[in-house]
Amino acid sequence: MELAFDRQAAKKERMAFIRRYAAWVRKTPNAEWSEKQAVLIDSMMENARNMPLSARVYLTRVAGRKKARRSGPGPV
Amino acid sequence: MELQYSDREIGISEKYLTQLDRFVLGFTRILEQVTAYVIVSGYVAILFGRSRGTEDVDILVPHLEKDTFLRLHRDLTEQGYEFLNAEPADGLYDMLCHGMGIRIAEKDRVIPNIELKFLKDETDRCVFRERTSVKMPEAQLFISPLDIQIAYKLWLGSDKDIEDAVYLWEI
Repeated sequence: MELAFDRQAAKKERMAFIRRYAAWVRKTPNAEWSEKQAVLIDSMMENARNMPLSARVYLTRVAGRKKARRSGPGPV
Repeated sequence: MELQYSDREIGISEKYLTQLDRFVLGFTRILEQVTAYVIVSGYVAILFGRSRGTEDVDILVPHLEKDTFLRLHRDLTEQGYEFLNAEPADGLYDMLCHGMGIRIAEKDRVIPNIELKFLKDETDRCVFRERTSVKMPEAQLFISPLDIQIAYKLWLGSDKDIEDAVYLWEI
């Protein structure tokens, strides 16, 4: 079975979500949107705390990502 | 979202501070004892509610004299931070002087971390000169002007960066 992934459609949907979410933030009081955002951010911070990762491995990965960005996308 | 604007100052009243906000505030409170700074990149969008995380927070500072940097290094180390790059203080200073970023995290942690760099070109200097103060409950941070941030994110061009730019524009 082959799965088709429509990249353009996915991008369009993500952008629509960004706009919808921004519209919600705009009309929501600061205390409310920020507390809801904190649920996501704080859980990511907690998850990072639980991830065993050395500084050396992390810096190697970061350097690799920067190099990949500089050399552009590879062949599809 | 209620924002209070004045010349180069944005107020976000009653904002609930995330653990990421507190991490950045803890670091900048030490940093601003020795130098002014400006926060750029992804954290700026997150500060205004963007629903994503980040591994690092990019901070630019003007060129520091070596003894000033060594003082900062000592202050951060004494207050529970560690430098992820495997270099002594002198080596870290050399990295900064050669245009490289150095990374600092809370002790025994890797993510999130601060990537600290010296200002390197006229764009950096403009962002620093025109930096915007963001005031929150019992907290203040200095960020890149939002219009420059949006333009920069569009220039970077990745999906994530364009989403950040659109989000900042929309709010």
